[in-house]
Amino acid sequence: MRTLLKTQDSQSSVGSGFLVDAAGHLITNYHVISQFALQPSRHRLVYATVDGRQGALQLLAFDVVHDLALLKPVDPAPLAGRGFVTLRPVAETLPRGARIFSLGNPLDVGFAVAEGNYNGPVERSFLETLFFGGSLSAGMSGGPALDDQGRLVGVNVAARRDGEQVSFLVPAAPVRTLMERGRSAVPITTPAWAEITRQLMGHEAELTQRFIAQPWRNAGHPRYAIPVPQEVFLRCWGRGSPQAVRGLQFERSDCEMDSRIFVNNVLRAGYLTVRHEAYDGSKLGPLRFAERYSSSFRNEFMGRDDRQRTAPRCVERQVSSGPPGTAANGQAGPLPLKAVICLRAYKKLEGLHDLAVLVATLDGTQQGVQGRLDAYGISAASAQKLAQHYLDGFAWNAPKTASR
Amino acid sequence: MERPEDRVALIEWLDRDGRVQRSVDVAAWPLSLGRALSNTVVLDDPHVAAHHARVEPDETGQLQLQALPSRNGLKLGGRPVIGTTALTTADHGEGNRADHGTSALLQLGATHLRLRLAGSTAETLAPEKPLPATTAATLRAPLLAGLGVLLLALASQWVTLDPGADYASWLPTVVGVPLALAAWCGLWALLSKLFQHRFDFSGHLRIALPWLLGLSLLDALWPFFTAALALPGLWKIGSLLENGLLVLLVHAHLRHTLPQHGRAVTAVVAVLAVTGVALTTALTWRNHDSLVAAPYMSTLPMPALRLGGTAPSTELVQDMAPLAAVLAERVAQARKDDEDGQGEGDD
Repeated sequence: MRTLLKTQDSQSSVGSGFLVDAAGHLITNYHVISQFALQPSRHRLVYATVDGRQGALQLLAFDVVHDLALLKPVDPAPLAGRGFVTLRPVAETLPRGARIFSLGNPLDVGFAVAEGNYNGPVERSFLETLFFGGSLSAGMSGGPALDDQGRLVGVNVAARRDGEQVSFLVPAAPVRTLMERGRSAVPITTPAWAEITRQLMGHEAELTQRFIAQPWRNAGHPRYAIPVPQEVFLRCWGRGSPQAVRGLQFERSDCEMDSRIFVNNVLRAGYLTVRHEAYDGSKLGPLRFAERYSSSFRNEFMGRDDRQRTAPRCVERQVSSGPPGTAANGQAGPLPLKAVICLRAYKKLEGLHDLAVLVATLDGTQQGVQGRLDAYGISAASAQKLAQHYLDGFAWNAPKTASR
Repeated sequence: MERPEDRVALIEWLDRDGRVQRSVDVAAWPLSLGRALSNTVVLDDPHVAAHHARVEPDETGQLQLQALPSRNGLKLGGRPVIGTTALTTADHGEGNRADHGTSALLQLGATHLRLRLAGSTAETLAPEKPLPATTAATLRAPLLAGLGVLLLALASQWVTLDPGADYASWLPTVVGVPLALAAWCGLWALLSKLFQHRFDFSGHLRIALPWLLGLSLLDALWPFFTAALALPGLWKIGSLLENGLLVLLVHAHLRHTLPQHGRAVTAVVAVLAVTGVALTTALTWRNHDSLVAAPYMSTLPMPALRLGGTAPSTELVQDMAPLAAVLAERVAQARKDDEDGQGEGDD
């Protein structure tokens, strides 16, 4: 499966694909054909079979969220009578460790069959993704992963390069949905930005709703309640400064989503990150602490104008959050915060934004917490909900007896 | 001249900077000037005619300047002389005329002369100027300013160092600040040497120190106070103010280096400053879609000095509501630019 530049016959991306019915419909990854979907006037799609036959392809439909695309050959004759891959029924669960086979064209070297193990769904993933214990290389994207009876378990999509044999498959269910939806569709010939936006909007609405429905976890800070997300579809990593340092001590937590939606080579959308740093400057004194605390607040990148997104527009204020403090922590009012909210708009995906909420506690002379929530590819309404949700997560960490 | 009372005038040759290179006494009128040996004063200038100009009193005793036929002409006080004109010594040229009593500036070809006429009395001669005094009082202000600059530099270094830091970490400030200051003033002194023939290091040091003190104070206190008052708008113009002070500092140095071109220096510095501000603002606007690069006020107020009040967080989220519409406008603008620029937008 190749995406070629129209003006010169050189390939600009290579992937794999497979036949899913007798009519010659093919499935591949959206990211294999994204250049065509976004600029159909400059690219064309062709297939090359294992035995060397070639032909032009049409794009019928795609599912950008699950990274799938449905295609059809312009001339079905060369592909007729070659059989097709059937989908493994949902009811038949595959045991962990079952042998499965991934097919594709790694690095455009040639057709290959890679053996590996089925390891069930990836944990803490927002979108259901299957963990394939085998090797996937670039170029195999869009190829099928089959059980020992040749039925489709998933579609090759990605691999982790920082591990060994940690690869991922799109499960069969969204493939089935896409086939039903796109089989009789009119081929796509104009840039598909509007359709991508529509699909991402559906995804971000669900993501926001599910995220806000979860209560924050407490970070366990003695003074502050800091919003840390549940690890349902985010994964958090913690890190601290060595105890022996003479300067500023800190503990940080980084929570990120694994599921990021590929839009084009430089744009990923539909995910969240939440992080915070808790600072302790008791070895520094107030002046030195204030300098470092401000430097850390300054050291936050908000982005600039680029081809994909506008420059950020920000609002800032000193706000208060949570119930008033108690005598135990010596604070009368609610927790004072400096909060900055920045929004960037996507230039091509109209109505989608990147949100950044930056928060710093303001009460401590020698301690403080700075937190940041980022959401990529969300609507303005979701941005407001998420910003409010995040700000509401900050409060005094009142002892249990004093909670109201 | 053996008998100064016989001197009716003095002719001084001036160089490009207005300094006297040599002088010749004039004992009697008429005075003729030119390249030929038959002149009273012989000029060694190929741009001067054999007989170029002549000065003699008329019947009333008024001195008359006569331009003799020449290709390059004659100028009196910067104005061309045609035929014969009264030798006026009134205000022509610029600067400290009265220092030389009654005098006239002549230009013959490329030669600049000053003709000083006898009879200058104490009234026409400017009073004696005092030498620049270097008493304790005049030294106190620059010294205090210098001390302030160094103290502020040390304080800002102290703040960035962790407690118990190595003494070597102080070196950049302790050595670097005086060295940088010396290099700065040395450079300006070299320029003074070029234009005024004196290596005026202390003069430039005296100019630099108060401005640097102002810069350091602004740098240290402006973010601090604007953050305490929770005024992001004022906080953001801090760098503009600092750049303004820098421009004024350079202006002061230039005025000191080229005192005879005061107005021109001010005009050039003003034009450069305005151009610089316009250019950087345009670049910032292109990259950040805003007049200032910093997207938000990054200095946090210290708890004891936090004078700005707080609002419920819902108000901030309400502030954010209009952003989407503003951004949508920017997107529409970007799309229009894209369509104007090229037929088909890239991904």
